[in-house]
Amino acid sequence: MRPPRIFRLLSADTVARGCALILALASSYVAGAEGEGLDEEALRADARETFKKKVGPFVKAYCTKCHGGGRAKANISFEVALKAPGRGAAFQHWKKAVANVKVHDMPPKEDVQKVPTEEERRQFAEWIDKLKYLAPRDPGPFVIRRLTPVEYGNTLRDLYGLDPSIADKLPEEVVGEGYLNSISPLQSELFLELANKVVEQVVVPEGKAPTAVQKRLFGEAPPQGSDLRKAARKVARSLARDAYRRPPTEGELDVLVDIFDLARENDLDYTASLGLMLKAVLVSPQFLFITPAGEVESGERIVRVDDHRLASRLSYLLWSTPPDAELAALADEGELSKPETLRTQVERLLRHPRSRALFDSFGAQWLRVNDLERQVFDPDLFPQVTPSLREAMMDEPRLFFESIVRENERVIRLVDSDYTFLNETLAKLYDLKQPVSGSTMRRVKLENPNRGGILGMSATLAATSFPNRTSPVNRGVWVLEQILGERLPPPPPDVPELEEQEEKSVEGLTMRQRTELHTTDPVCANCHKVLDPIGFGLENFDAIGRWRDKNDAGVAIDSAGKLPGGRAFSTPAELKRLLAEREADLARNLTERLMAHALGRQLEGYDEVVIDQLMARIAEDDYRVRTIITEVIASYLFTHRRVE
Amino acid sequence: MNRPSLVGRRNFLKGAGLSLALPFMDSLASVALKAKPPVRLAFMYMPHGVIMNQFWPKSQEEFLNSPPSIIQSLKPIMDQCLMMKGISGVPINPFNGAPHALELSTWLTGRLPNADSRNRINISISADQIMANYVGAQTLLPSLELATMPQTWKENQEGLHEGYYNYCSFRSPTQPMPAETDPRNVLNRLFGKRGKEGKVTQANPLDRQMLDRVLGGARDLRRTLTKGDQQKLDEYLDSVRSLERRIAAIETRQQEAAFEKNGVRPSHRHATESAPIEVKIPEGDKRSEYMEVMCDLTILAFQTDTTRVSSYVGSRPNGASYPELGFSNQHHSQTHYGSDQEKIRKVAAINKFHVDRFAYMVKKMHTLKEGDGTLLDNCIMMWGSGLEDGNKHRRENLPFIIAGKGGGSINTGRFLSNIKGNQGDLLTTLLSCAGIPLDRPVGIATKQILEIKA
Repeated sequence: MRPPRIFRLLSADTVARGCALILALASSYVAGAEGEGLDEEALRADARETFKKKVGPFVKAYCTKCHGGGRAKANISFEVALKAPGRGAAFQHWKKAVANVKVHDMPPKEDVQKVPTEEERRQFAEWIDKLKYLAPRDPGPFVIRRLTPVEYGNTLRDLYGLDPSIADKLPEEVVGEGYLNSISPLQSELFLELANKVVEQVVVPEGKAPTAVQKRLFGEAPPQGSDLRKAARKVARSLARDAYRRPPTEGELDVLVDIFDLARENDLDYTASLGLMLKAVLVSPQFLFITPAGEVESGERIVRVDDHRLASRLSYLLWSTPPDAELAALADEGELSKPETLRTQVERLLRHPRSRALFDSFGAQWLRVNDLERQVFDPDLFPQVTPSLREAMMDEPRLFFESIVRENERVIRLVDSDYTFLNETLAKLYDLKQPVSGSTMRRVKLENPNRGGILGMSATLAATSFPNRTSPVNRGVWVLEQILGERLPPPPPDVPELEEQEEKSVEGLTMRQRTELHTTDPVCANCHKVLDPIGFGLENFDAIGRWRDKNDAGVAIDSAGKLPGGRAFSTPAELKRLLAEREADLARNLTERLMAHALGRQLEGYDEVVIDQLMARIAEDDYRVRTIITEVIASYLFTHRRVE
Repeated sequence: MNRPSLVGRRNFLKGAGLSLALPFMDSLASVALKAKPPVRLAFMYMPHGVIMNQFWPKSQEEFLNSPPSIIQSLKPIMDQCLMMKGISGVPINPFNGAPHALELSTWLTGRLPNADSRNRINISISADQIMANYVGAQTLLPSLELATMPQTWKENQEGLHEGYYNYCSFRSPTQPMPAETDPRNVLNRLFGKRGKEGKVTQANPLDRQMLDRVLGGARDLRRTLTKGDQQKLDEYLDSVRSLERRIAAIETRQQEAAFEKNGVRPSHRHATESAPIEVKIPEGDKRSEYMEVMCDLTILAFQTDTTRVSSYVGSRPNGASYPELGFSNQHHSQTHYGSDQEKIRKVAAINKFHVDRFAYMVKKMHTLKEGDGTLLDNCIMMWGSGLEDGNKHRRENLPFIIAGKGGGSINTGRFLSNIKGNQGDLLTTLLSCAGIPLDRPVGIATKQILEIKA
C-alpha cells in the first residue's frame, strides 16, 4: 500500500498508522486480482463520500475563489473536476493541486482569509490519494509503439544477421513521458534506405552463391516450371511470421505476393522479386510497430493481451529484441500467457546478458544518465573528461544496476551499497585508496561510505550538474523526483537562472549562499527550501563527481542539509542512509516508472490501484528489484488491455 | 490532364508518377499560354525577441531613409518591405513557465498545446501546412522545412513535451514536421544534386509502386486498431505517402534534366527569366554561410517551383552561440539583460545577424527575374520572432518584417505603427494574400489585418 505522497515527507511511523485501515482492506483483496472485489466497491464508495464531504469544502474554502468558474487563474478550474473527480483529465489537475498545496505554494496568503494548517494539507493529500478508487477497473488500451532505433537495429541483427550499427543513422527519438511515435517523411525515407541496404547485404543476384541468411529466408529455388507464386507465398509466410512477430493474415500475404508479381511484371528474376518482397516487409508498419494480427470479436470490454503481442512486449522490454525461438514457440502454443510460464520466462530473460537492454532503455533514462555521451563539460575546468573516462562513467551505473537485478537485491541497495564497478580511470577520479589497474570495469568493495550507490557516482552527479559547476537545485530535484518519486510544482515563470544573477550582487558568495537567495524570495522559497538542502548534501561532489572539501574559491564546503520533514544530515553518507529508510517510496517509484515505461503511457486512475496491490506483494519480498520487474510484467496492466 | 474522378486511391497513386509529369508535357505544347506566376510564402524565425528600440523605426520616414541598426541591411529594398507594430502573440497561460518552448511552437500555429495531453505533441496544424494542403499537390514538394542546426535542447517545462522546443511546422495537431538541417541532404534529396558521398539519389519507380501496395495493405491492419493507434498508424502511412511523392518528384526532375540536355527548356521558366541560382555548400563552419545556403535553397525551391511554401528556423530557442560576432555567450543567456548594456549590445548584434541573413535572401530574390517583375514580387517572405523582448518574455508587439508584394496582394514600402491584431490574424491575412481560401481562422485569429493588403 502506498502512503499518500505527503505522508512520504513525514516519518515512516506516522505513515504506517495512517495506512493501517486501508492496508487491512487491501490485503484481503490482493488474491483476487481477476475479479471485481467487494472491497474495491467499498473503497469506491468511501472515495465518493470523501470527495463530497471533505474535498469539496476544502476546495471551496481555499481554491475556488481563483480556480473556479470560467475565468480561472492558470486555467485551472476545480468546478468540473469536483463534479467528475474520477475523470482522466481531472486526475492530473488533482495531482498538481496536491503538489502545490504540499509545499505551501498554494493557496497564496494574500488571497485567502486563512491558510490551511499543516494537518489540513496532509489530509488533503490523503483524500486526493483516494481518487484512484473512483476509476473503473481498466487496464488501459494496448498502445502501439514503434521500435526504437536500438530495437530496430537488434531486430535486423536477430532476423537477418546484420550489424545493429546499420541503424545508427536513424535519429534518436525525442522521448518524453509520452513516447513520441510519429514518423516524419524524413524518417520513412531512412527506413526505405535501410531496407535497401538490408536487401543488398542479404540477397545476392541469381547465378551467384546465395548468402547463408538468404538460404534460410528464401529456401531452395523452386524447380523449373513450378508455380513461382505458390513458392513466393510460402516464403512470404515465413518472412512475415518473423518480421511481424506473429502469424500473418492471408490478406497480408496477398499484399506481399502482389509485390512479388509487381517485380515479376518488371522483369525481375525470382530471387530479386523475393528481394523486393523482403524490402516491403521491412517498410511495413507491421514490422516497425508491434501490431495485432486481427481483432478478436469477443464482445468483452477487457481482454488478455494475445500471446504474440505479449511475447513482443516482454522481449522488447527486457532485451530490446524480437522474441527468440523459445518465446515465439510458447506464443504459438498459447502457453506464454499462463502466469507460471510468464514468470519463468521473465527469469530466463533476466539471467541472460542481453537483459542489459533494460538498463540501456529504461534505467539510463530513469536515472537521467542517458545523455552523458553527449553532455558538455567545460574543457578548461575538466580536462580529465576523456572519452575513456566518459565510457567508464556510463558503464558504472549500468553494471551496478545489472548486479542488483542479477542478485535480486533489495531496492535500497541502489542508494546505499558498499560496492561499485570501476576501472583505473574511474578509481583515480574517485581517489580510491585500493589499487585498481587497467581499463576493465570490475566490482570493487568500497571503504568510503560517501561512495557507493547511485548518489555517489560520477555519472549521476555529472548529469545533474552544469558544464562548469554543480547545481544543488538540479540535484535536489533529481533526488526527490527520480529517486523518491515526489511530484514538484514547476518553477514560476520568468525566473532568471543563477548564471544571470547580477554578477556584482553575488560576488564573494559560496554556491550555498547564492542558492540560498532562493529562500529569501517568497516566490521561490516554498519549493526551494525543500529542494536546495538536499542538493547541498551532495556539494562535496564536484560537477564530474570528484570529492572536494573546498570549493573553487577555497571556501570549505558545508554539506549539512535537511530532508523534507526535518531529518537532518551532515554528509552524503548520512543523506544516503536517510534515503534508504524510505525503502517503500524508492520501491514504489521504481515500480511506477518501470510500469509506465513498459506500457508506454502515463499512469493514472485505476493504474494506481493495481500498483498498490503490486506493492503489497513486493513488500512481502523485501522490495527486491527482480521481484519488482517480475511483478510489473505479471501484472494485470501488462497482460490485459481495453478493447475500444 | 486526364484523371478519372472515381478511381481508388491506389489506382490513383499508381498513376501519380505519370500525372505529375503531365503538366510539364502539356505546357511544352503550349508555351505561349503563360499564366501569372504563383504566390509563394516563406517564414524565417529567430528566437528570444529583439532589442525594441534598435528594431522598430520611429516613423515612416525613418523606416525608408534611416532605418534602425538591426534592420539597416534592408535599406536598399525598404520599398519592397512592410513592418507593422502591434501584433500580439498567443497568451501562454497556463504554460507560463515555458515561454521559449512556446515562442517557437505557437509561432505558425497561433495556438497553445492541448493542456490535457501536454506531454505529447498535440497542438494544431500550422499556417504553412494549411497552405501546403491547398497548393502542395501542384508542386514536387508540398512544403519545405529547414533549420540551421539540429535541436539538442531537452527540457519539459510545465510538463510540455520537448518537441515543443523543436518545431514550428505541424502537419496535423499531433504530427510535427522535422526540419532538414543538412544543406547537402536538401540539395541531394530535393534537387537530385550530388551529396556528400558523391551519391545521387536515384528514383526507383518500383519502390514507389511497392510502397503504394504496402499502404494499401495497411488498411486492413488499421481496422484492427484503436482510434488512438489508428492515428499513429496514419502518421506513418502519411509519411510513406509523402515518400512516394518525393520519389515521383525526383523521377520528374530526372526526366526534365534529360529533356533539358536535349535543349528543351522546362515549362516553368521563360527565356527572359533568370536561370536557377547556383547553390554552393560552404566548406567551413561559419554560421552566416550556413544560414545563407539555407536561404539559397529556399530561393532555388521557389524559383524552380519545387514548392510554394517553406519555413526556416534560423535558430531554435536556447543553445545557439555566435562566435562570428566576437563573443561566445549563448543567445538566451544574454536576453535577460536587465540594465546590462553589454548584454543589450550582444542581443542587438544577434538580432542584426539574423535580419542580415533575411536581407541577403530577399535582396537576391529581387535581382531574379520572373514573369513581368522579380521573384520577390511574387513571394511573401516573413521574418520574425516569437517574443517581443526576451528580457521579460513580453509578447505584446511581436517583431515582424514582410518582404515581397505577394503577386500584388501586399502594399509594401510602409511602416504601420499602430496595428491592432494578433499572431493568428497576421497568419490568416498572409494566407489570404497567398490566395488560400480560408475555411477557418489560424489559431486565435478573429479577423484579417486589412491594412497590410494592397
